[in-house]
Amino acid sequence: MSALAWVGGLAYFAWDWFKVAVTRRPPAGQTLVEAYRIGVQSLPVLLTISVFVGTNLALQGYNAFVPLGGQRLVGMFVAMAGVRELAPLIAAAMIAAKAGTEMASQIAVMRTREQIDALEVMAVNPYWYLVTPRLYAILAVMPALSLIAVFVTVCASYCVAVYQLGLNGPTFLEYARTSTHLRDILTGELKALVFAVIICFVSCYCGFRSEKGPEGVGKATNQAVVLSCILCVSFNYLVSQVLYG
Amino acid sequence: MTDLLARIGHFGAFAGRVAVRMVTPPWNHEDFFRHAWTVSVRCLLPVIAVTFPFGLVIGLQGLAIFDLFGAQRLLPSLISVAVLRELSPVLASVLVAAQAGSSYAAELGSMRIKEELDATEIMAVDSVRWHVAPRVAALMLACPILNTVGDLAGLAGGYTMAVVVKGEPSGVFLANLWVFTHPSDVVGGLIKTTIFGAIIGMIACYHGFYATGGAAGVGRAVNDTVVRAALTFFAVNYFLTSALFG
Repeated sequence: MSALAWVGGLAYFAWDWFKVAVTRRPPAGQTLVEAYRIGVQSLPVLLTISVFVGTNLALQGYNAFVPLGGQRLVGMFVAMAGVRELAPLIAAAMIAAKAGTEMASQIAVMRTREQIDALEVMAVNPYWYLVTPRLYAILAVMPALSLIAVFVTVCASYCVAVYQLGLNGPTFLEYARTSTHLRDILTGELKALVFAVIICFVSCYCGFRSEKGPEGVGKATNQAVVLSCILCVSFNYLVSQVLYG
Repeated sequence: MTDLLARIGHFGAFAGRVAVRMVTPPWNHEDFFRHAWTVSVRCLLPVIAVTFPFGLVIGLQGLAIFDLFGAQRLLPSLISVAVLRELSPVLASVLVAAQAGSSYAAELGSMRIKEELDATEIMAVDSVRWHVAPRVAALMLACPILNTVGDLAGLAGGYTMAVVVKGEPSGVFLANLWVFTHPSDVVGGLIKTTIFGAIIGMIACYHGFYATGGAAGVGRAVNDTVVRAALTFFAVNYFLTSALFG
């Protein structure tokens, strides 16, 4: 029951945001600051995680295909699993953990310090001032981050496949190339945009409705990352089902 | 650079203190069982909600691959290997880090901010033994439990996609499910998640225990916890996978 109320609240929140977003110009400077914060500052985390996702993908692909005598197929496995599903999804999970929690805790701290009430008193719409720049920023950087994650994942897989597992490099690349199409990349980008919207709205909403005090901030941050992860994985399935199913 | 090294050293000293208190009596059994129970219950739905759709997606994409070769009967073994060895341990731990790790950081952080931890110290109660050790131990128990749940949910997702949605024969799916899987895959997943649980618990409690700077500091501790715990266990995962299954 409370889950339904939560979804309803989120919908109201998005609608309230939409009403101010279509009638006003976005705060451009603020958007760039947020884009820097979300995009550039998440990069080290994203790169590290993508490397290890790639290495494990190659290891597991190898383990799965060796009993079938299909070591050559590791390249194809990495390309399909990594490019289509894992890299965009892991990128989203990391952005949710890094940038999403930051959004939630910043807004929750503002709620605790009554800065959001202060904004309203100054006749600044808090949805416009706090949500708009974050949403536009994450929409701008997320596709790029997702592409980077795909690239790094495949590179790391290649290194493990060739140097640790001793597979043939050109064969790996040939199989990876022939099993990836432009459509897969574009689907990944579409997914990135969907994840960006989910992460931003869920995190901001959790921040806005947090209780006051340190526990409230902690709980809002906690909720933000768990719910964004769950929703991203579920929507990932929906998008895959519609586009590949 | 030196700053980073100093922090790693500080963390190491903290982890050592916690580890010593986890193996020497007296133990705080009550809190240990309470935390283990709460974590398992609170993470149960999130873990299922993440691994089940992932199982669906592996089924979907795996069928796309195997359809090319007409080898649909290999799908179940791909699903079971991927889920048992890799996906369920990693996804369950991500969720535990996000849900339990961050709430531990928040709890301990707000206890630190409100000077409750200092109060326990003044009453000559060892706050690491009393508050930290049971939490870390609880995660080391809860992670493997949740991993088992994740295994089942992931396999159920794969089954749903292959048999219910795509209409593959159920008997073939079940017969091929265990062809390339050994008990060692399940045990490997349990070993991995126990280690991940320890990593998450240590990192979360460290960030909460040394939180500074009011409500914003708690928020930052929670944030750092999730990111750093995930980074660490993804890295450790690679080495564990190489060692256990390689």
